[in-house]
Amino acid sequence: MNKAQYIQLFKEQLKGLPERDLEELIYDYEEHFTIGLSEGRSEAEIADSLGNPKTLAKEMKANYRISIVEETFTFNNFYRALFATIGLGFLNLLFILGPFIGIAVSLFAIFVSGIAIIGSGLFVIIASFLPMLFHNVPDPLLAIFVGLALGSLGGLWTIASWYLNKYFYLITIKYLKFNVKIISNRRMNND
Amino acid sequence: MNIQFKKGVLELCVLSILEQKNCYGYELVNKISHSISVSEGTIYPLLSRLKKEGYVTTYLKESQEGPMRKYYKLTNTGQDVLAKLKREWYSFIKAVNHILKGSDIGEQGAIYTTI
Repeated sequence: MNKAQYIQLFKEQLKGLPERDLEELIYDYEEHFTIGLSEGRSEAEIADSLGNPKTLAKEMKANYRISIVEETFTFNNFYRALFATIGLGFLNLLFILGPFIGIAVSLFAIFVSGIAIIGSGLFVIIASFLPMLFHNVPDPLLAIFVGLALGSLGGLWTIASWYLNKYFYLITIKYLKFNVKIISNRRMNND
Repeated sequence: MNIQFKKGVLELCVLSILEQKNCYGYELVNKISHSISVSEGTIYPLLSRLKKEGYVTTYLKESQEGPMRKYYKLTNTGQDVLAKLKREWYSFIKAVNHILKGSDIGEQGAIYTTI
C-alpha cells in the first residue's frame, strides 16, 4: 500500500468524525510518511509498520461515538455508537444484539405501561365528575380515591422503569467500551 | 510483555518521554517502537486523545530538513497525571515483585519437602 492509498482508506473510514479532529489526524499520518521517506524508508514499509488503516480508523470512530453518547444520551447517538462498535467485527456483539433488542423493547413497554396506569387514574377521576356520562360510577368520592391511587401507583411505576431503562443503557455503553478495549488489545497482540 | 498491560502503559511511556523532551510524532513513535512492539499507528490516536484531555499541547517548528514539524509538549496537567501514573506503576511493580519473590520461596520450600 502506498501513502495516497493509506490516507484515502483512513479518510473513508473516518467520515463522520469532526472535521478538525480528522484534519489533525491526517496531518499526523502525512507527516509520519514524509519523515519516514526522508529517512530512506519506502511508502509500503511505513504503511506496514503503521498498521491497517481500516482497523485503526474503525476503532477511533467507535471510541468517538461512545464518547459522544456518554456526553449526551440520545437514541440517535446510542445507535451510532452501537453500530460503530459492531462495525469492528467482533462477533460477540452480534450475539448480544438479539437479547439487547428484546430487553430494550420490554423495558420500553414497561415504561409505557406506567404512563398508561397514570392515564387510567386520571380517567377515573374525570369520570367521577361526569356522572351523566358515566352512569356506572357508584360513588364519586370512592372513584376519586381510586383514581388518585392509580395515578400515584402509575407515577412510581413510571419513575422506577425510567431508571431501569437508564441503567440498562448505561450498562450497554459500558459493555461497548469493554469490547472496543478488547479489540484494540487483540490488534496489538497481532502485531 | 503481556498484551493487556500495553495499552495503559503506552500512555505512561508517551507522557514520560515528553517530560524529558518535546518531540514530534515520528520521533515519539520511534522511541517507543524501539523498545515495545506496537503498531505505530496507534500512537497518533493516543496523542490526539491526550491533547483533547489537555495533557499535551502542540506547536509547529521548522526542521533543518525543510518542512514544519508538529511538536508535542507536556502541560502542567499532563505533569500531574504523569506523576500519578508513575506512582501507580511503581506500587504495582512492587506488589508484583513481592508476589514473585514469595512464590519462588514457596517453590523451593516445596522441593525441600519432596526431597
